[in-house]
Amino acid sequence: MELKYKKSAADGEEMFYGTHPSGLDIFIIPKKGYSKSYAIFGTHYGSVDSDFIVPGETEETRVPDGIAHYLEHKMFDQPDNSNVFDKFSRLGANANAFTSFNMTAYLFSATENVKESLAVLLDYVQSPYFTEETVEKERGIIGQEIRMYDDADSWKVFFNLLNCLYKNHPVKKEIAGTIESISHITPELLYRCYNTFYNLSNMAIVVAGDVEPGEILKVIEDGIKKNEPFKEEIKRIYPDEPNELASDYAEQKMSVAMPMFMVGFKDTDTECGGKALLKKSLETQILLKMLFGKSAPLYKQLYDDGLINASFSADHTMQPDYAFSSIEGQSKDPKRVYDMIIAEINRVRSEGLLEEDYVRIKKVLWGEHIRTLNDVENLAGDFLQMHFMGIDYFDYYDVYKSITFEDVQKRFENHFVPERSALSVVNPVE
Amino acid sequence: MENINLIYVPMDKIKTTTIGVYIHRQLNKNDVSKNAVLPYVLRRGCKLCPDAEAIAKYLENLYGAQLRAGVVNMGDDQIMRFEAQTIQDKYAAEGEPLTEDLLRLILSVMFEPVTEDGGFKSATVEIEKNNAKDRIASVMNDKRVYAMQRCIEEMCAGENYALPSRGTIEGVDAIDARNLYEYYKSAIASSVIDIYVCGSADETKLRALIDEKTAGMEFEPAKIPETEIHRKSGDVKNVTDRMEVTQGKLSIGFATDITPQSEDAFALTVMNSVFGAGAHSKLFNNVREKLSLAYYASSGAVKAKGMIIMNAGIEFENFQKAYDETLAQLESIQNGEISELEYKSAVSFLVNAYEAMKDSPEQMHQFLSDQRVTGTNYDIDYCKDKLAAVTIDDIVRVSKRVELDTVYFLTGEGE
Repeated sequence: MELKYKKSAADGEEMFYGTHPSGLDIFIIPKKGYSKSYAIFGTHYGSVDSDFIVPGETEETRVPDGIAHYLEHKMFDQPDNSNVFDKFSRLGANANAFTSFNMTAYLFSATENVKESLAVLLDYVQSPYFTEETVEKERGIIGQEIRMYDDADSWKVFFNLLNCLYKNHPVKKEIAGTIESISHITPELLYRCYNTFYNLSNMAIVVAGDVEPGEILKVIEDGIKKNEPFKEEIKRIYPDEPNELASDYAEQKMSVAMPMFMVGFKDTDTECGGKALLKKSLETQILLKMLFGKSAPLYKQLYDDGLINASFSADHTMQPDYAFSSIEGQSKDPKRVYDMIIAEINRVRSEGLLEEDYVRIKKVLWGEHIRTLNDVENLAGDFLQMHFMGIDYFDYYDVYKSITFEDVQKRFENHFVPERSALSVVNPVE
Repeated sequence: MENINLIYVPMDKIKTTTIGVYIHRQLNKNDVSKNAVLPYVLRRGCKLCPDAEAIAKYLENLYGAQLRAGVVNMGDDQIMRFEAQTIQDKYAAEGEPLTEDLLRLILSVMFEPVTEDGGFKSATVEIEKNNAKDRIASVMNDKRVYAMQRCIEEMCAGENYALPSRGTIEGVDAIDARNLYEYYKSAIASSVIDIYVCGSADETKLRALIDEKTAGMEFEPAKIPETEIHRKSGDVKNVTDRMEVTQGKLSIGFATDITPQSEDAFALTVMNSVFGAGAHSKLFNNVREKLSLAYYASSGAVKAKGMIIMNAGIEFENFQKAYDETLAQLESIQNGEISELEYKSAVSFLVNAYEAMKDSPEQMHQFLSDQRVTGTNYDIDYCKDKLAAVTIDDIVRVSKRVELDTVYFLTGEGE
């Protein structure tokens, strides 16, 4: 196959790309002079995809929560009993995998033997092997992973917030599932999920580093096993999610030194992908910095009153079908912080945003974009995640440039609505 | 002015320039808390930008350049640190001199603090004292890190290295705007200050900016603090803490008599790689994969102190099993049970990690300051060669000098 080429004049990045007849999307990003190369092979399949219709079938398939993550762990067992980590280790490559809400990814970084390591990556992710015995063995390990999260305050404050924001959407469920839900996972169910979501037409691979694109393409083409691409989409079934929240407050007690909080704003402008989604995300990031960043009046007030410390930060999470903004930190009085955030939102709703702040903060976003291009791991990882949302990262500059102050004002009106906000708190045990 | 060193590392392939300021102080009980508060007070305002809001706006105008204050212990060297980063000038809309403007701010933060009545501003100092106390208290939030810190604290009890870089509550309480300012004046004049710049910059211009700002200042002779390695004394220490947690955290400290300057330091690094550093290691493959006791089980070498610290998250009742298996794995190395694969993987894991540092300005600062603290002055390629030259016999030989020192367990309230 032939690869296409494009270059972004604004940030100097270039890329070779194309879709293989098997359905696999391939992206190669050359980074001249880099010591490290990185490859990430992912499927558009995460913890929210427990309810779906396999292409060609009519019946709905419902699988236990946490299965995408369990499957990720079990991909490391091979039919010939070989150990995947051994193969990478022998080559000096550093391998890993992760599962998020919407994607599962297998990856490695290496400073030598990149092509050999890439062949190993392609081979093992296309070689499922699940038996009663190997599936059973993993329950103890994943059980400890779940327990580790049970003691992680930042994890709990986050999921408790999601359970306030969402009544039905599966994003509110923990990625690894529960000790109970994973007890129902069997080899048959793993194969069913694998054969659906690991069809190459639902997958993509990104390679970034000082590589020769032609050579990398050859390794990928040679490594692709027989695959019949799906002719239709996998139908993912998500329950209807109302605009209203499930609850506006959650509290949990844990062994922490001082209260932790997370304030969320549910985004109801959903059902968009591609450039529209990227634009919405950039507008929201600008707003979060204007409202809650270190130069914002609210930040100064909270900091000088001793209500927040340097851990205070704001973020926006987006997918085509759900999105939310979150503001988190530590405080001796989270409810007071929440009240002050809402008061500030109401003040800005009546007095308006300042254009000079917008102009300054928009520059900050450009700096952040340039920074993400520095590290091959961040770059390839972000690229893949955006690809699964229908976003081409090479559109960044055009979308960024198209944003106006009016867009940001409108976005503020629509998104920062006090009725769609919630507070999650983790308090210290007495 | 020979206290201040500018170390420029050209890195044209990346799109940012990173500036790291490392102020080296001897770790001791008297100053530990002052060092833990001082950089955060300085970060709140200077002659160029009188308050935090002005600094924030200045940085935002540099396309969101970052400036972080911090403090870290490397061996018995407590380092007050400023890490700053900006995109390279050529990515700015009008090619503005971002790196120079960023350095201007850093120099003003370091040398031109805001003062009142012969001290720092007391409102600022009070807020930053409270924040420092929050950081001290919050160590317990991350149970994995907490268990390892408690292990080190118990292991090095009575030594300076047991002092946490974040300081102590009593130490912070004793600080006021005036005594902190007095300390600042003496510390800034009597410390080795290394300024690393990684990326793309005009070295001559940066040097001129530094010279201009420090002209007329008086400096006293300074040197990098010396670090003693930890030596085991007496019996193995066993310590258990209880907290309301669902998972137990095991951390085991091992002592060696291997100094970072000795040739055997490379063998110790490879030995630790075989033992617990990564998915190729004995701890991962046995404690996790074979026995399914843990999701993570690993070890790290604290080279400056000649120590190895192991850690794992386990069920409370599996303490003995995990402990026995950890010791059994060390023993197997001491008995020479190292396969060709384990050996090769351990070496190439490290060689790969060292080579990858060349892409990361932050890791480069870290590597270079490591060399300063231990006085070794190696470069990355030299370390790679030395690590690759370590043999299985070397690993077995140094492993016999690894001794069990402290066993720490964080368990549940009811256990």
